Amino acid sequence: MKKNGKRSHFTPARIGVYGFLLFSAAFFLAPLYIMLTTSFKSMDEIRLGQIFSLPHTLTFDAWRLAWSEACTGVACEGVRAGFWNSVRIAVPSTVLPILIGALNGYCLSFWRPRGANWLFGVLMLGAFIPLQVMIYPLVKLEAALGMYSSLTGIVVVHIIFSMPVMTLLFRNYYAAIPMELFKAARIDGGGFWRIFVQLMLPMSVPIVIVAAIMQITGVWNDYILGLVFAGRENLPMTVQLNNVINTTTGERLYNVNMAATMLTSAVPLLVYLVSGRWFVRGITAGAVKG
Amino acid sequence: MATSRLKARLRGLTPWSALLPLAATVLVAYLGTALWSLWISVSNSRTFPGTEFVGLSQYERLFDNDRWQHALYNLGIYGVLFIAACMVIGFLLAVFIDQKVRGEGVLRVAFLYPYAMSFVATGLVWQWVLNPESGLQNAMQQLGWQGFTFDWIIDQDKVIYTVVIASVWQASGLVMALMLAGLRGIDVEIWKAAQLDGVPAWRVYLSVVLPMMGPTLATVFVLLSTAVVKAFDVVVAMTQGGPGTASDLPAKFIMDHLFGRANLALASAGAMTMLLTVLVIVAPLLYLRSRKKEGGHA
Amino acid sequence: MSRLKRTLVAIALLAGGAAQAQAPKAEVIHWWTSGGESAAVKTLADAYRAQGGVWVDTAVSLGEQARAVAINRIVGGNPPTAAQFNISKQFFDIVDQGLLNNVDEVANRDGWANFLPETVLNVIRVKGHFYAAPVDIHMPTWIWYSKAAFKKAGITAEPKNFDELFAALDKLKAAGLVPLAHGGQPWQDNTVFSAVLANVGGRDLYLKIFRDRDPAAIKSEEFKKVLLTFKRLHGYIDKGSPGRNWNDATAMLITGKAGVQIMGDWAKGEFNQAKQEAGRDFGCIAGFGPKSPYVIQGDVMVFPRSTDPQVIKAQKLLASVITAPATQVAFSIKKGSVPIRTDVDASKMDICAQAGLNIMKDKTRQVGNGEAYMTPDQNGALQDLMTAYWNRDIPVEKVQKDLLNALRD
Repeated sequence: MKKNGKRSHFTPARIGVYGFLLFSAAFFLAPLYIMLTTSFKSMDEIRLGQIFSLPHTLTFDAWRLAWSEACTGVACEGVRAGFWNSVRIAVPSTVLPILIGALNGYCLSFWRPRGANWLFGVLMLGAFIPLQVMIYPLVKLEAALGMYSSLTGIVVVHIIFSMPVMTLLFRNYYAAIPMELFKAARIDGGGFWRIFVQLMLPMSVPIVIVAAIMQITGVWNDYILGLVFAGRENLPMTVQLNNVINTTTGERLYNVNMAATMLTSAVPLLVYLVSGRWFVRGITAGAVKG
Repeated sequence: MATSRLKARLRGLTPWSALLPLAATVLVAYLGTALWSLWISVSNSRTFPGTEFVGLSQYERLFDNDRWQHALYNLGIYGVLFIAACMVIGFLLAVFIDQKVRGEGVLRVAFLYPYAMSFVATGLVWQWVLNPESGLQNAMQQLGWQGFTFDWIIDQDKVIYTVVIASVWQASGLVMALMLAGLRGIDVEIWKAAQLDGVPAWRVYLSVVLPMMGPTLATVFVLLSTAVVKAFDVVVAMTQGGPGTASDLPAKFIMDHLFGRANLALASAGAMTMLLTVLVIVAPLLYLRSRKKEGGHA
Repeated sequence: MSRLKRTLVAIALLAGGAAQAQAPKAEVIHWWTSGGESAAVKTLADAYRAQGGVWVDTAVSLGEQARAVAINRIVGGNPPTAAQFNISKQFFDIVDQGLLNNVDEVANRDGWANFLPETVLNVIRVKGHFYAAPVDIHMPTWIWYSKAAFKKAGITAEPKNFDELFAALDKLKAAGLVPLAHGGQPWQDNTVFSAVLANVGGRDLYLKIFRDRDPAAIKSEEFKKVLLTFKRLHGYIDKGSPGRNWNDATAMLITGKAGVQIMGDWAKGEFNQAKQEAGRDFGCIAGFGPKSPYVIQGDVMVFPRSTDPQVIKAQKLLASVITAPATQVAFSIKKGSVPIRTDVDASKMDICAQAGLNIMKDKTRQVGNGEAYMTPDQNGALQDLMTAYWNRDIPVEKVQKDLLNALRD
């Protein structure tokens, strides 16, 4: 942020910046390198245990198997089988929690009804409970409400478990927005919903992006909740992925496992790539002055 | 007029009605299940909830357990290192990426992709890398550097550090993204003013920017803390809690007893203990914060 | 669509639906997800279909997870028709809650009490009723060795007892190979412990420890000897052992880098994948001596409670199909396991499986694994102790004392 619009020179500081970033990138990318090379090797070569070496002979079999032929039970159809289920679960489970989180954050930050902070406090404490501990009572609850083992059931569960994080994100983001802005909007005659939709939401783009990144990743990679609550017809891709990778006494095809993992993570990765356009600065800046 | 007063009253209710999902979730899902867990932890439950009240005997059994004690000790080390490393690395990455570097999009994905991948596979990769026979140590020695050792993963005392490394690798990208969003919410004018005053960049960051990112830092800290308390996947994928039980963490202990050992009561006792610990640490802080904020804005 | 067409389509659907409604439909939760396991469970599905049933597959990897899903489904009121469990006490709590149907009719009609090993009967028969249908039997404590590695180390004969085994391990070490290929995960550490207890302690001590949890036996000198032998084996593993998957350890035998591995009969799957043959490339030892215990573990199907006659019909058909001799042989060949009944034609099974089946015919050699006798919790506590002892320097007396405490109730 030191130069505005001027061409960058090769100053020591500049070299330092790139140096640090490239070195860090190498550390972060190393496991990806291993995953990629493993996925292109044959099992015989993998058994030799040379994880850093490039494949002697490039085989794409693992990718084909992972997508459409790997065994996940009686069915041997790869991870492809769960793709659309994951989409059907992920869309409502991303949109709804973000909306509710934004609403909660907005309400807690600006309107602050009495006792709401207590609710928020308990919510944050709830975020520390491992979700597996909550499964049994939630199963009974959903069964009583008639939504166990259904798409509704899994979306509700995702809303419940993401509420602490989403609310926290938005509440703290709105905390950084000056109160004057809000008061000015009220004086101008704005009501609860109008201010929310016309003022706050447009200003929330960066945090919505971050929230979307977190929520899509969390939901797409979720395994245990989908397994327990979604019902047999809605099992997400992660169930197939885990069936391909995990086994107690079966054989392990590491190349297929790596390929399957990368295929499954393609959707969150796409989201990250696309989200770049919105990591822009100055969304609130103009508003403050204005 | 009566109707306008009624309208005003109704409008006053709007914030409350908007919070209904929150209230329902907190009271029923969280508070409800926490209380249920509390009841289970003082019962004789096994695979299913039991009906007998057994007092604190589950807690006694818990704290008598070598493995649980070691898991708590590991949690302390893991928690401190993980949170510190993620915040520092995440902040540095965000700051450096914010310097109008070329290829920012690619770099951002390079740091974020670990977060997108299931730990089931990436944990195994880290195990391979850190294993002295197949991983980094072996590769370095083959390249000629004979004295190189990096066998923490088989060392009883150092294995927890390897878990930290893999976890930091996975989470730093997200911290970076959060910090970047926070950084980019800061007024451009600040930079211009600092430049005019001739203040060096690092000084600006430390004395001006960092304090202004208070809420972002708070968010990140809480997120990382919840991740620490619930950390479980990484241990299962990398070390299976081993060697032996050296890299065990409370969440894995709880999970093992919940499903594998069919001991709902002991698992719940563990979960309650963790919750109580968090409460004890966090409650005073929250209380102080809420008092301070009485005047200010959130 | 015209009205006539619509009516015809409706009739066709109804008719088809009605026909479906008659065929017994079984949704089965299991954890057979790898390639070899998939081929094996397909034999069950095929056999079921051949009898007119419809197999609905719900595979969930890892036993613990699959069982958790089954239990949650039962609790949530949406139970599967059948769910896989182990030959163990895992499902006893479910029986206690009255959440399982029994299959007494099939068991009595097909005469299960006549051909099932006693270990298996004791587990599936609770309070006089049969609550599970056995599917397969695995032996977890086989001793595998690589012929290539043995040749390189100059070992000419198969070891016949633990002293000879240690001598062989020494020779392998001298030849620069890894003597014992081991994956340092708690369950694998326990497999080695069970093998030592069975072979060094003998059947009586084994049962006194696992089945009776006899304090005198735990404190005895013989058990101390077992523990010390167990710990002695730790000196023969390589540094990279902790955390290693069992397949990677078998891979060391396959590539000739290591000599011996103590692992269950499912290891054959890895050897087969690498196109290696029993007797030619690798050897398998069930135990030392003509009376070595044959440790029995395996899988069963339980049948969640339902009063729906269609479901009960499907469950009975499943129980009967699974335990039929032809299904048993077909399944075992694909799975690498041993059939639950010895009155089958074993000629198509590999030599290690045939050897195992022969030993199993001798009732005096049958024992169960830890989980067949202890609750999951007790078994887990034992496992924690043994893996700690394997990895750390703990005085053997302390281990005995801790074990006494852990297995007390």
